[in-house]
This record gives sequence, C-alpha cells and structure tokens, in this order.
Amino acid sequence: MSLDPKPGKSQENLLKKPIDGQVLKRLIEASLTWLRTNQQIVNSLNVFPVPDGDTGTNMVLTMQAAYDEIAATPEYNFGKMAHVVAHGALMGARGNSGVILSQLWRGFARAVDNYAILDLPTLVQALAVARDTAYKGVVRPVEGTILTVAKDVAAAAEAAIKTVDDPTAMLEIIVKAADLSVQRTPELLPVLKEAGVVDSGGKGLFFILEGMLRYINGQTLETTTNTVRPISDMLLENSMDSIEPGQDFEVIVDFRPDEPLDIVNLYNDLQQMGTSIQLGEGDGMYRLHIHVPNENVYKPIDYTRTLGTVTKIAIENLVDQMANLEKDCDDRKPVLSPIEPGQIAVVAVSPGAGISRVFASLGAAAIVEGGQTMNPSTQEIIHAFENQPTDKVILLPNNKNIVMTAKAAAGLTVKKVAVIPTRSVPQGLSAMMRLIPSGDFDSVVAEMTSAIDDVETGEVTIATRSVEIDGVEVEEGQIIALHNGKLVLSALTLEEACLGLLKTAHADHFELITMFYGANVPKKEVFHIADIIRNVFPKQEVEVQEGCQPHYQFIIAIE
Amino acid sequence: MSDETTPFGSISVSQRAIANIAYHAALETYGIVGLASKNLVNGWAQVLVKDPTYGVEVHYDGQDINIDLYVIVEYGTRIKSVAHSASSTVRFHVEKALGMPVNEVNVHVRGLRISNLD
Repeated sequence: MSLDPKPGKSQENLLKKPIDGQVLKRLIEASLTWLRTNQQIVNSLNVFPVPDGDTGTNMVLTMQAAYDEIAATPEYNFGKMAHVVAHGALMGARGNSGVILSQLWRGFARAVDNYAILDLPTLVQALAVARDTAYKGVVRPVEGTILTVAKDVAAAAEAAIKTVDDPTAMLEIIVKAADLSVQRTPELLPVLKEAGVVDSGGKGLFFILEGMLRYINGQTLETTTNTVRPISDMLLENSMDSIEPGQDFEVIVDFRPDEPLDIVNLYNDLQQMGTSIQLGEGDGMYRLHIHVPNENVYKPIDYTRTLGTVTKIAIENLVDQMANLEKDCDDRKPVLSPIEPGQIAVVAVSPGAGISRVFASLGAAAIVEGGQTMNPSTQEIIHAFENQPTDKVILLPNNKNIVMTAKAAAGLTVKKVAVIPTRSVPQGLSAMMRLIPSGDFDSVVAEMTSAIDDVETGEVTIATRSVEIDGVEVEEGQIIALHNGKLVLSALTLEEACLGLLKTAHADHFELITMFYGANVPKKEVFHIADIIRNVFPKQEVEVQEGCQPHYQFIIAIE
Repeated sequence: MSDETTPFGSISVSQRAIANIAYHAALETYGIVGLASKNLVNGWAQVLVKDPTYGVEVHYDGQDINIDLYVIVEYGTRIKSVAHSASSTVRFHVEKALGMPVNEVNVHVRGLRISNLD
C-alpha cells in the first residue's frame, strides 16, 4: 500500500468534492493503514469480556478483507461501493469485534443503498442504521464496548446535523465523539475499570474513524503519534535486571502534558539525568520510567512538572530492591518426564523446589513435597505413584523421618513398591544416579540401595533450642552442622560452620562437593562461602545449586 | 454432576447450573440471537427457548465437561466467527465459574434469524 500524504499538505479537497465511491475507497484505505499502525495498541488493551484473541489483529484483518474487495474496483457509485465494503468485511470478519464491525458496515451500506453521492443527512441516517443493525445482532448487548461507541457516534452525528454542513467538520465531530465514548467505556464495563484500560474494540473503531480524519488533514498514517509505547507494553519488571553503578533509584512519573510532547528533545533532556529511559503513552497521559543516581532523584519530577500536570510519582531504591530480589528463590515447578508403561517409576520426596528440579532432571517420575518439618502423609505418597502407568515403583524418602511413612505407603498398594531408605537429599540423589528405568526391578533396587553409602551428607542449620548432644554444646540461635545426621559442631557464622563440617567429613579425601543452598540465604553470601571453600579445598570440585529448602541454609553432598 | 472433593467436604455442581452459565454466556455473544431446542421435532414454536437446558446440553463423565450449544445466529454475520466466539465465551465463563476445565464446546447452528430492517 502506498498511501503517505505529506504531513502538512492538506487533502481537504477530497471532502470538498462530491463524496463518491472512490473517495470512500481512499478513506477505507486510510482507516486500514491507521488501524494497522495502531494494531498493537489495540491488542494491548485486550481484557475479557470478549475472549477475542487479539482485537487489533482481528479488526485489521476484517478491514483488510474489506479493502481487498474494493481495491481494484473502479466503481464511482457510493452506495454500490459501500456494499462491496460490507461484503468484504463480512467475508473477512474475524473474532467478535470483526463480526460487529462487519455488521456496522452492513447497516451503513444498506442505508446508503441508492445514493451515488453521500450527503450529510444520509451519512447521519447511515450511522444510525449501522448502529441499529449492530445492536440487532445480539440478545444482550454489553455496554462499554464497540457497540456503545457506535451508538455514541451516531448520536453525536444526529445532534450535529442541524448546525454543521461541512463534511470535514462532521468527521471531526464524529472522531471526537468516538474518542470520548472510548474513554467512558471503563465507567460502563467494570472489568475494564479493574484492568485500567479502555475497550479494545471501541478503540479500534476510533482508530478507523480517526484514520479517515488524519488522511483528510494530511497527517501521517504510517507511524504512531509518538515514538512511545502504550503503557501496558512497558516492561518495568524486567528493567531491573540490568542495574549498573549509578542507578540508585527508579523513578516513575505519570503526567499529562499541557502541549504535545517534543519526544526528541524530551529524550535528550532525560539522558542528562539517568539511564534506562522508557516512555509510555495512554489516553492523553504519559508514564516516564528512568533510573537515576542518588543526586538526580528529584530531577525527572521537576522536569516533567515543567511539561504539564504530574499525576503520580513512584520512587524506589533499586539497590535495596536488588538485595531483596536476590534472596527470592526460584520456585518454578520441576518438569517431570513421564515414564513409559512398565518402566520403573521413582517417587522422590523433596524439601525444596530447586532440589525437586534436580530430581526431575535425573528422571524422577513424581515429586512429593516434604522435608524436616513438613512430613508428607502416606496418602500423598500413594497419590504420587498410583497414577503412574507401571506397577514397579521406587520410593526415595530422603529424610529419616519420612522413611517410615514411605514404608507404610508401600504396604498399602497392590503395586510392587520398594523403599530405598535414603535419609538425606544427597543419599537420594546418589541413588538416583544408578537408576535404570527399564532394568530388572530387584537388581536396580539393590544397585540404588548400595549407592546411598557412597555419599557423605552435611547439613547446616540454626539451632532452635539450647542443648548438648554428642558432646557438642549448642546455644539457641547458633549455627550448627550435622554430618550424616549427627551433630558435629556449632558455630557463629555460616562460613565457619561449612568449613568445620567439611573438615570433619574429611572432604579432602573426596572429589565433589555439591552445596544446595536454602531459601533463607542471600545468593551473595552463598557465592562468598563457596569461594572460601574453593580456596580451602583446591583439589575438590565445588558445585553450587539452588535448593530452595526451608530451615536448612545448606545441604551438602560430599562424594 | 461435576464433583470435587476438598478436605472440608465435597462440592457438586448440577448440569443444570452449568447449562445456566453457558446459556447466559451464549446470549452475550455477539451474533447469537437465541438458543434453539436441540430436537427440531419440538417444533419452531420453541425455537427461542427460555429454559436454558433446552438449548444447552452438558455432559459430564466424571472427567471431562462437554457442552453442546444449539443456537440461532443473526443472518448476515459470519457464522464461523460467531460460532467460534460463542464457543470461547462459553468456555471462558464456565471455566471461570467452576474452576474446572471444559473439554469441548460444540456449537450447533440450528437456524438463522433474518431481521426485518425496513
């Protein structure tokens, strides 16, 4: 499509001429171009009530079908051309909004049936018929949608016909009415208000009408009004990932400019203040997002106040936020690979999401959440394996308190269930390494059971009460280390506890130290401790894994 | 009945209740101007049914919920698009209300209504 009127050069003569079929063709073309330019904006508004896929895309495809029908038609009769448009829209109607749009065109075409030239009274009548036709298509019209916008447009045209006799002025009134109507849609439809958006179909209809007006006024149709994105497109959550020095604060300012913004100058000025600049636009207001160093915190606010009315300001300390973010554990569910019928299914009990993911990656068929203070029930364990397409099941309790439960579960099913008495996560993982899913059940069980003694288990946690066990005195709140379930030392820092534990376990005789860190340790500290361990045990491979387990700062496998 | 058991007891939802949700969702769909009795034997007199269970059939086999809609569509709309959005609207509303997945929504177009515009 090659439709690019030079900005500033008015096309007004188009409506000064008699409005015939060829004029309609060019207006439709302009509508389609403008709608397509703003397609993503319309898409981004999409919320329920209409599960419509992407409203913007659907409306563009519907208008495209209408335009394809008329593109090569040399028809001068307005009424006949309108029928071709309606036919094309009908054939191409996609999605809910597309169907409504096609009905609007159908009604419009019917009203201008016998008119070779469109005059204003006919236009007003046609808009009313379009509205009526569209409303006929549904038993319970939902207000606050494209239907409401069509209704308001028709009403505005009807009210204006007495005073207006210039088609351009009429089009301006229509576009204005559509704009206002779109802005009112959240008042009529609560679901829009909750989502903080206007109706997408209504907005699409507005762009169709506005495209015509922009074309008449010689404004560009190929680029959106500004080089800014709709607010909903701003990916503010992700922008935090890349914090660099000098980005101490994140400032977000919502403002309504008094005059149209000069985007280029705006960006230039903002770049003096900070980085990571994003500008979003929505319904006459803008949202500015910027990262600034300490000394510039208030500059973006002062600056936007010179542009217009500031409606909302949010400032967040990024450095602090990052520290908090790092503590958060990645609690994605593990991706389990289903087993083939008849194979051996392994059900592992896991205390944390990270550990679950490791078990899943080693081929566990199901994971039961549970650990030190949250023992799973027999029922939960049975649930985990009874739907597996096999009668050969191996249970890994991975905690000494759960071994009994697992054995009870094994006794309550007709399936052949073996419990490998793994008393810790490292033992469970070690057993898991020997799993051959399609192997002979008894020999696999024997092999896996023999593997659990290949690994030494270390656990680091905080004492919940003062006690003396095995000659080790512990104060409540101190950090304690357990080696194969036996309390070996208490310490004041995590670092001290880890090193002491590894020495007790003679880690220097082993090859691999894997540390699963818990949900309660900041990553920074984890990596710091891992570095120290690498220095003290230079011959051992030290691996750090996210475990996400509660209570235990570290679960350490030494093998 | 659609059943769900929670630690506090069980919840069961009747087919008729599901049919009601589907009925109202269908009537809010653009292009659907009514629901029809599934048996045309019942005659055209009943074409625009008031009782939701006439135009909507809900099947629940203990696993999946399947819904059949018997609809009248406005003449002049693209039937495929209307049927598609009716199907997804009904699915959305039923799933939202029940919190249970709907397996399939079949839309049977039983007739067209030709509006007399003049």
